[in-house]
Amino acid sequence: MAVSTIYSTRALNSTHFLTSSPSSSTSKQVFFYRRHQSQTNRRFNTIITCAAQQTVVIGLAADSGCGKSTFMRRLTSVFGGAAEPPKGGNPDSNTLISDMTTVICLDDYHSLDRTGRKEKGVTALDPRANDFDLMYEQVKALKSSIAVEKPIYNHVTGLLDAPELIQPPKILVIEGLHPMFDERVRELLDFSIYLDISNEVKFAWKIQRDMAERGHSLESIKASIEARKPDFDAFIDPQKQYADAVIEVLPTQLIPDDNEGKVLRVRLIMKEGVKYFSPVYLFDEGSTISWIPCGRKLTCSYPGIKLNYEPDTYFDHEVSVLEMDGQFDRLDELIYVESHLSNLSSKFYGEVTQQMLKHADFPGSNNGTGLFQTIVGLKIRDLYEQLIANKATAPAEIAKA
Amino acid sequence: MMSTTASHGRVMILPSPSRALQNQQPLIGSDMFRLKQTEPRGSRLVVAATAKYKGTKMREEKLSEMIVEKVKEATEVCEADVRSEECKVAWDEVEEVSQARADLRIKLRLLNQDPLESFCQENPETDECRIYED
Repeated sequence: MAVSTIYSTRALNSTHFLTSSPSSSTSKQVFFYRRHQSQTNRRFNTIITCAAQQTVVIGLAADSGCGKSTFMRRLTSVFGGAAEPPKGGNPDSNTLISDMTTVICLDDYHSLDRTGRKEKGVTALDPRANDFDLMYEQVKALKSSIAVEKPIYNHVTGLLDAPELIQPPKILVIEGLHPMFDERVRELLDFSIYLDISNEVKFAWKIQRDMAERGHSLESIKASIEARKPDFDAFIDPQKQYADAVIEVLPTQLIPDDNEGKVLRVRLIMKEGVKYFSPVYLFDEGSTISWIPCGRKLTCSYPGIKLNYEPDTYFDHEVSVLEMDGQFDRLDELIYVESHLSNLSSKFYGEVTQQMLKHADFPGSNNGTGLFQTIVGLKIRDLYEQLIANKATAPAEIAKA
Repeated sequence: MMSTTASHGRVMILPSPSRALQNQQPLIGSDMFRLKQTEPRGSRLVVAATAKYKGTKMREEKLSEMIVEKVKEATEVCEADVRSEECKVAWDEVEEVSQARADLRIKLRLLNQDPLESFCQENPETDECRIYED
């Protein structure tokens, strides 16, 4: 969104140069000049071209708060630069900043801290524990290139700490439990993603996460998931109908009775008809394809790789679904799969593979989660570039009497 | 499979962790993109990144203790009524603290970032910023 100030005075008959934001390095500049119309009508046409900073807002819905460090880092690394916590601020800040992107954790908009939630008997999943008015105001402000003092929710102490100053970035990512819950916030999002982990995989991941901790046992992990499930199903899950892309993570179908959650079946559900977003496809857009790349040209080890692509409907929307079941065992498998996908929005052959290699030690690097997270990152870059290009070539014409 | 993490110039060699820990994430050597599901074999050498500053070490321990406390609390509260609000909230707290603990572990292990890094650059003399010695 462009912020432009319009002055109209007759004395002004040359190009005027104005910087309206002292804080941002890419300053907003407003050029305007007056041009005489023909002698007959005494109207002055003021042509205003705003070359302002655009802030693109992306929403990411995921359980487990803002621990999506690896997804975020994959996303931000597509734009270059590492995302880091703000320097010199609160060490418990949840915010991540890189050159182009700022990632805000929506837990910072908790209206109730841990004690408050205990008193009121609400979980963090409950909308009553969150200040959606403040969330809306601040996301709107950042989108309009205005810096905000955002609160910090400290996950260690469970308290709300003093706010931190957030400068409007080129790309703002809001991640957390409720990015698409409030309708006003939803309207501000240029693109939204929902990370949908099935119950079996969630259980397997939480076991991996928590079993090394003294306090936990299989029972406690199970009890925790079950106790949170009602609130999750009521408040978080329904958001997936609004997402432009859903990454669904399910147990594999390649290994019978696998319950370790290591081999995964991942589905990238992409909404059709979203502005600036063209879904990835396999071989032939809009058709149904089932593909096992392992064969004569490519040898894979057990359990191999299976891809699927088809059109479908998801909550009454037309979608395209790209699915990958199995694991990458070697570099050449990954590049082979990449070379057969279309509409990746990559800038060069092998870019997806290169991005995956950059974070080869992150979880999901050998399966569809890492692959689709990376692809979504490229899609967001593409969306951003299109949005910028679109705004830059649209001058506003105003006629003044 | 041995992997090296040069974390803050400190490298710790630990005996092979339990199966649960080892199956967490495949760690890939830098020479080739070879992902192996390694079979745990007795004691294997594993290198892990640790906290650099005392403050971070203390935070790690505090979070682990909180998990023990809160799991105990939740188990007690839920004995009365497993569908009560108090029970839900208690387990939600367990989840919150477990995730915070895991986030810290990810930061240190995978990303080689100590959250106190930039604070301690500015304030090296504080107690929190003492370099952690085992």
